[in-house]
Amino acid sequence: MLKSLLPLRAVLVTGKGGVGKTTVAASLARYAAQAGKRVLVAEIGTEDATTSALADVLGLPALAGEPIEVAPNLRAVALQPSLGHQRFLRDVLPMKFLADAAMKAGAIRRFLAAAPTFPEMGVLYRLLDLVRMTRRDGSFEHELIIVDLPATGHALALAQIPASLLRIIPTGPIATAVREGLDLLEDTKRTGALIVTLPETLPVSEAIELARGIRENGIPLAHVVVNRVPFDPFDAREAVLVRELVAQPLSAPVLGARTLERIDRAKTALERLRLIDVPMTTLQDVWFEGPRLSEQVASLMMLEPGGVF
Amino acid sequence: MSRRVDVRPSVPDTAATFLEPLIANKRVIVCCGAGGVGKTTTAAAIGLAGASVGRRTLVLTIDPARRLAEAMGIPEAARTPSAVPRDRLTALGIPAKGELDAWMLSPEVVFETMVRRLAGDESKVQAILGNRLYQHLSRIVAGMQEYTAAEALYTLSSEGKYDLVVLDTPPSRNALAFLEAPKKLSMFLDERVIGVFLKKEGAFFRAAADLVERVFSRAFGEGFFAELQDFLGAFSGMFGGMRSHAEAVRSLLSSNDAAFVLVTSPEPAALAEAKFFQEKIQGLGLPFAGYVLNRSWAYTRGFLSPEDLPLADPTAEAKLAVRKLGQLADVEKWRAQRDRDLLARLRMETNAGSAIATPHLGGAVEDLTGLAELARNLVHLPDA
Repeated sequence: MLKSLLPLRAVLVTGKGGVGKTTVAASLARYAAQAGKRVLVAEIGTEDATTSALADVLGLPALAGEPIEVAPNLRAVALQPSLGHQRFLRDVLPMKFLADAAMKAGAIRRFLAAAPTFPEMGVLYRLLDLVRMTRRDGSFEHELIIVDLPATGHALALAQIPASLLRIIPTGPIATAVREGLDLLEDTKRTGALIVTLPETLPVSEAIELARGIRENGIPLAHVVVNRVPFDPFDAREAVLVRELVAQPLSAPVLGARTLERIDRAKTALERLRLIDVPMTTLQDVWFEGPRLSEQVASLMMLEPGGVF
Repeated sequence: MSRRVDVRPSVPDTAATFLEPLIANKRVIVCCGAGGVGKTTTAAAIGLAGASVGRRTLVLTIDPARRLAEAMGIPEAARTPSAVPRDRLTALGIPAKGELDAWMLSPEVVFETMVRRLAGDESKVQAILGNRLYQHLSRIVAGMQEYTAAEALYTLSSEGKYDLVVLDTPPSRNALAFLEAPKKLSMFLDERVIGVFLKKEGAFFRAAADLVERVFSRAFGEGFFAELQDFLGAFSGMFGGMRSHAEAVRSLLSSNDAAFVLVTSPEPAALAEAKFFQEKIQGLGLPFAGYVLNRSWAYTRGFLSPEDLPLADPTAEAKLAVRKLGQLADVEKWRAQRDRDLLARLRMETNAGSAIATPHLGGAVEDLTGLAELARNLVHLPDA
């Protein structure tokens, strides 16, 4: 159940575009914050990004490179590659001014921004930075970090980068940092990937493939969330009756029949998803938009059997 | 797949849709939009429509649903585009001169092809392909898709084999990376950036390179800087060619030969992204053509209400079941109204009212017949 995600340090929310990944990430963050965790919800951001799906869902005008307060126990941040690069250079170079000078040097900054994989490495470093951050009493500043991964066709790209980078750069401080990142990503006690999908044919096929890919990359798969599951109002007998009713020869299509088909597809889809063999949560279709939506979905999470309340 | 529900055709018998002249005349149609809105499927349906008006058409896709790829006969990781078999096209009523090829972009293949063409002699090709950095960089997917989509588009649309190339853009959060890829590539390949890493004469350059080397050696470990220099040195002869490709892609996409079509679903998040993207496309001076509102529930004209259905045995239980079906019908009516309002709004936001809706076909489009059905909702196709 979702409650079992609470002891983790990082939850990586992944899935194809359009499945409601950002909404689930934001709702999970609200849920965890209400359950008493200090939560940071993050998206992968760039300095020049003008829109943020996560900010929209949380009801914020924008996100920033430093965490901002959203609600009690809940902060949000954009993981910006350049901030990661800067922190990294500060960590490895003997003097802070040299790191800042290096970042100011147009050539280095532009190289890091434009060369493939370096931005992703910056994001990973920034994530590590936020994971390690502690309070004065020694406890973690952000007990749980929920990362809304980008909606790429290759949701695994970020997961593959540490290993690829280690092949290119096997030694030195970058390699050390990357190894630390890899240790975090592969530790079942600290990290869990969460796949969001829809109860439809193709999204489920993709979720099954994604689950295989995540496992092949050594990242622990912790949970599957099926979003927008249609409500089925019929008992077994009624279900047969209405299907007979719309199947008879008629002069035109019947309103409601498309929803019946959707309910049937959802049933099949949920059966197929059981093949993945991890805890699964279904979230019912709710009709809200913007910040109301994530509040609504968070309260659905609370109501889940075995949920917090 | 069952399609018991007959979906009304969205294209009236007489009026042409905004897509028809594009499909008949343009060299490049770029499909953009948020992830998960059916962009790949729409691009494939537009490609099918291109073939059906007798054009030699290529659909360049990034990440097709596996079954769609199978239906179209695209092998994964092929080195060249594959043709949809002629007998399948004939079965769909596509004229003999119409061709439909499809290719699932593979960054490695595109990059290697580019290296072979630009490097000149074979020893340079081997030096680049054999470089350890190259071997890894070209294999890492993040960021490379965008570079290679632009590169493949340039090559395939300029070699004369195709009349029309339909590009399904990489699904990135704002779907903008593709547009910025050529610019980013030019920026990366700028001599002022690259120059720092190249072995050069002169005290000033050596001093600058020394500083950079110190930073890089500390960060990446000893030896990496030398390797990077080798890599960039081997590549440097190609930068001019790569930059001119990047610029050629940009000018092709800005020209009258290209059209950008925004694909969206009725979901608020997808719509918000589409709206943002429209502004971005227009802001960049690229030719925005219109919207395809995919998977809409907009068409309900002539549908029966559950209460109108003849009940063979009107028991209390049957009546209750019908009432529950009526509630589902009410929700569908609400969705239909929402989607019609949306379509009207999208039409107002385009110059020529260029927005059309495709129906929710139920489940997924997963074969050529399904694609043809979708295509029939975009343009008028000859009947099979």
